[in-house]
Amino acid sequence: MSLWVDKHRPRDLMKLDFHKDQAARLKSLVQQSDFPHLLIYGPSGAGKKTRIMCLLRELYGSGVERLRQETMNFTTPSNKKIEIMTVSSNYHIEVNPTDVGIHDRVVIMDLVKNVAQTHQIDSSGQREFKVVILNEVDDLTKDAQHALRRTMEKYVATCRLILIANSISRVIPAIRSRCLTIRVPAPTENEIASILHLVCKKEGLSLPSELAMRIAKCSDRNLRRALLMCEACKVQQYPFTADQKVPEPDWQQFIRETASMILSEQSPKKLGEVRQKLYELIIHGVPPDMVFAGLLKELVRNCDMAMKCQVASHAAMYEHRMRLGNKPIFHLEAFVAKFMAIYKKFMEESLGDAF
Amino acid sequence: MSDFPDPDEEYELMYADDLELLQEEDDHIEANVVKKKPIQAKRSLDFSSPAPKHLSESRVTDNTPSSSNTNVAPINNTQISFSQSLQPVEELLTPATSNKRTAEDLFGDIGDIDFDNVEMPTKKQKTEEENDLDLINKILESRRLRQLLLEPSRAQAEAKPLFDTKDNISLNIPRWPFMPLTNSDGDRVYVRLESETSWEQSLDAAAEQPSLQSMYAKTWEEARKILEKKQEEEMLRQSQEALPNIASDINGNSLWVEKYRPHSYLDLLSEEPVNRALLHWLHLWDKIVFKKEVKTTEPQQRNSFSKRTGQFQLTNKWKGKKEFGPEMDEDGRPHHKVALLCGPPGVGKTTLAHLLARIAGYRPVELNASDERSTDAFRNALQSATLMRSVIDAEKRPNCLILDEIDGAPLPTVELLVKWCTATGTEGKKKAKTQPLKRPVIAICNDLYATSLRPLRPVALIIHVGGVSLQRLSSRLARVCECEGLTVMPHVLAALAARVQGDVRSAIHVLSFIKARAKAQLNMEDVENTSVGTKDCSKSMMQALTAIFTTNDKDENAIMKTVQAAGEYDRLVDGIFENYLQARVDSRLLIACETLSWLRLHDTIHAWTMRTQNYSLYGMLPQCVVRCHRLLASRNPQRVKFPMQAQEAYRKKTELDSIVWSVWRYSAPSVALARRALQLDVIPLLPYLLAPTASVQLYRESERKALRTCAEAMCDYALQYTQQRTPEGLYAFVLEPDIYKVAFFENQERMRPPPPVRQAIAREQQLEMIKRSEEMANRVSNPNKPDTRSKATDSKEGTVGKEGSAKEAKETRLPNHLQRLKPKEVEKTTPQVHKDFFGRIVPLSQMQRSDAVPDVISSSSVFYQYREGFNNAVRRNVRTRDML
Repeated sequence: MSLWVDKHRPRDLMKLDFHKDQAARLKSLVQQSDFPHLLIYGPSGAGKKTRIMCLLRELYGSGVERLRQETMNFTTPSNKKIEIMTVSSNYHIEVNPTDVGIHDRVVIMDLVKNVAQTHQIDSSGQREFKVVILNEVDDLTKDAQHALRRTMEKYVATCRLILIANSISRVIPAIRSRCLTIRVPAPTENEIASILHLVCKKEGLSLPSELAMRIAKCSDRNLRRALLMCEACKVQQYPFTADQKVPEPDWQQFIRETASMILSEQSPKKLGEVRQKLYELIIHGVPPDMVFAGLLKELVRNCDMAMKCQVASHAAMYEHRMRLGNKPIFHLEAFVAKFMAIYKKFMEESLGDAF
Repeated sequence: MSDFPDPDEEYELMYADDLELLQEEDDHIEANVVKKKPIQAKRSLDFSSPAPKHLSESRVTDNTPSSSNTNVAPINNTQISFSQSLQPVEELLTPATSNKRTAEDLFGDIGDIDFDNVEMPTKKQKTEEENDLDLINKILESRRLRQLLLEPSRAQAEAKPLFDTKDNISLNIPRWPFMPLTNSDGDRVYVRLESETSWEQSLDAAAEQPSLQSMYAKTWEEARKILEKKQEEEMLRQSQEALPNIASDINGNSLWVEKYRPHSYLDLLSEEPVNRALLHWLHLWDKIVFKKEVKTTEPQQRNSFSKRTGQFQLTNKWKGKKEFGPEMDEDGRPHHKVALLCGPPGVGKTTLAHLLARIAGYRPVELNASDERSTDAFRNALQSATLMRSVIDAEKRPNCLILDEIDGAPLPTVELLVKWCTATGTEGKKKAKTQPLKRPVIAICNDLYATSLRPLRPVALIIHVGGVSLQRLSSRLARVCECEGLTVMPHVLAALAARVQGDVRSAIHVLSFIKARAKAQLNMEDVENTSVGTKDCSKSMMQALTAIFTTNDKDENAIMKTVQAAGEYDRLVDGIFENYLQARVDSRLLIACETLSWLRLHDTIHAWTMRTQNYSLYGMLPQCVVRCHRLLASRNPQRVKFPMQAQEAYRKKTELDSIVWSVWRYSAPSVALARRALQLDVIPLLPYLLAPTASVQLYRESERKALRTCAEAMCDYALQYTQQRTPEGLYAFVLEPDIYKVAFFENQERMRPPPPVRQAIAREQQLEMIKRSEEMANRVSNPNKPDTRSKATDSKEGTVGKEGSAKEAKETRLPNHLQRLKPKEVEKTTPQVHKDFFGRIVPLSQMQRSDAVPDVISSSSVFYQYREGFNNAVRRNVRTRDML
């Protein structure tokens, strides 16, 4: 709890810094002492989890903040033992089913059943239900999602599910319709900057507003990243100067380098070098879809409008195929090769016109 | 043929490049010579088949009589043979004895040319000189045809263009655009002029034409059948005469494999150096077995011998003569006590071992997989075979143990054998039981690198027995057929030999099977269609990969079979992915895009198949690979690398994942995050946060705070500086788990704090950990009693929602976990752990008595840190005075 991002996390719905009207609505929702299943989605670092924790606190009191970590064991139908870590309080349990890969269906079925079948021991003055928080629902396999839809209805009396996702496009409609979907948009850059100011004030530091804006810009509208970057700035150099270097995650920089490599030369040899870079990104756990997005963002800067559309549509297609397949490197490299081909043709044509 | 400027030579000179390629195929096509003959004979009268390349030159530089190039010959010829080229051959055949003589004068021996098939000039109005020229051309032409018959592949290459002379050259002024050409005699020929584009088109069309073989496949088939029928009849006639003589042989019931087992050294089919190596080794035993001096062959002789064979397969010896000495050890036994024959099944390893053992004067004793091979049974066999000799055997020969199929033997057995072999005489005296091995032991295996053979390999003389060469195998098969009265065409035998891939046994089995079906002869169909004798044609992944990147001119569809035989499509695709950039890739990357699209399709199908466990599309996977072959194959051989990148990447990824996992798993619940967020947002920035700028000795308040924050963060994320011994013998603080690896891509040494800072952090963190564990202990032991420790955390945690909950706690008797503690002034009673000098916790009562020092560790100038086996923890010079 020492990093700013944890230390200054709001704990009350009313103290949230942005999307205040949404917070008010959430508060009124829980005041009725019952609420439907929730599906909360939004980009990373927008404050989904913070809102959920505030909501739970509103619902159960501060007891939800006494967290403990536990590992739970499940056995798959194929007799494979799987282990999953949960974070829980007396009132809720949080789990990330995608940690067990393709066996997530078992986790969902067993876990929800376990939780739902045990009633609260002391129900006086308590809610009738417990809350199960499922992370990264959009990465669940289709099987698990289908298993979820029945479970949701069956145990609605004793447990509520709060699903967290980045995007609902990969959540099956059946689940979407069973939940109250709440979108948490990413904070704007101005909001991030003002939060940074607020935090620095709490820490007793003075933050130049230019630096705050720069950090906000670098952070991709990801508040968590912004706060971490701000603290990293502080560790590196204090007092702040407006033009100091803002440390940013290395992988972002790496994607930018890769993109500039692609633009510098289009040849099979270069493609081979780019492949090494792509491997490196995958090794470091950067999700391939983010690599796609990052590369595209950098690459289209050097394209004219027609080509932009073409490249973007190719990227979308290749990314889609990648999700169907197993080996992201093939699809990433295919996209790079395709872009190189398009770009080279474009360059040659424009050079040809020049003469 | 030598006295005439040989058209073949000229031809070869001109098309050396093409020939080189074709030459490679000749070996394989040789077998089919016979079946291609008829079609060539048919074409021999058609003058309309110059190659497209030659066409262009012949159009412009026509009419050069001096060039005796066969390809131009038809055009020179055109004036006279246009009209007749369409007429049936029979009508044109005229006896031309007078011409023959002149021809003989001119060309010397032309007996090789079949004049019956060559049409003779019939037009009387031609001058004598023209007739001669004509004849020359005829002879050249027929020679060429003969050449084509001998080397049909060349004919194939030539036969592609479909340039019709009649349509393009005319004697009269034609209606199409033309170019007049006049030869030395004043004859005018009109050659058609074509536009550039149409010429291109015709070239393209020619290129797209399927090969002659496929075009005329049907005709060829018929022709082949006719020819075979003819030959069959002929053979039948011959065999009917021969049959009675060997009738007695047929009655024999024994397997042919037994019947035709080699009975003398000369009968052996295996390679000469292999035979010699084994025999030589057996003779090395002569000294100890037969008590006679070993004849050592002269170095020169052996030297030349190994030079001749070129590829000497012995790895252990005979590479240099220096090693000759240790061929024998001090007991007079060979250096290698065991000979290990290895090779594919059916090439005659067992036969070789038995025969050579007999030749060398031993009685072979075989022990194979069908016998029991437990350690005890094996020891018995070994003892009886090597220490005793047969009493019943009249010749009283010594035994030679042959251990067949040793790669299937259990490891202890092989170890026993090795022990037995390596036991020397001196050792034998000590232990009465183990006597030195005094008889040769030959072990036979298929797989040299079987795990159970590992101990045997270093002590054994390893002899590789390769497959039998095609020629020798087919000639041997011919002999067998002859003996059995089976009429088989030589080319059929060659095909059979090629099919079994050097496996003599299966080839002979096929023959006996055919014979058993009461057929007196074996046709090409039998060999091609029957599934008998097809060996398990598994290909290794690398073979398939190499095949994918090389063009196969012989058989376009062979690649499919190869790929399917190799299986492992997933690895194969990885291999293509890693190698395709070195293959035929254009600078515009179009081939790369196309290849990748097939790879992607493969990936998608594969993933789908695996996910749904629905194998209906599995058959498509090799198709994708074959498409890649079509795109990437080239003639120049390419070094194909084994696909490693994917594995390597996977390995590294799991390594980094485990780092992330351990951070995630052990981080405090209050900071728990989704793993992805941890990996992408927190860990990349943590190194910046964990590098406080602090001077070691003099902390300012802010620096101390920074250190504290850093230590707390490390506790939260379960990071720790541990002391590790560096190779130089120094101790360094290393972050565990090493998040720098995850956070940074290239320079992973960036942002690491200097050692003194690390040490300071480590110390601070230890305090923090002690503090936290104390809190935990207190919380567990007396949860109801309000104590200062947990309050400290509460005050940190609950900065926001303190007030409300405190009120709640008063109102009702809430469950424990809901109880909030009242905030109290924390600063005075900062978390303390009271420990004495040795790290023992001072009891509370004692501690309260000595209130003067509230926090022993942090305020004391002495800080002792215990490390096992290493003691430099006392950091300051302390005088005794200070301690008192």
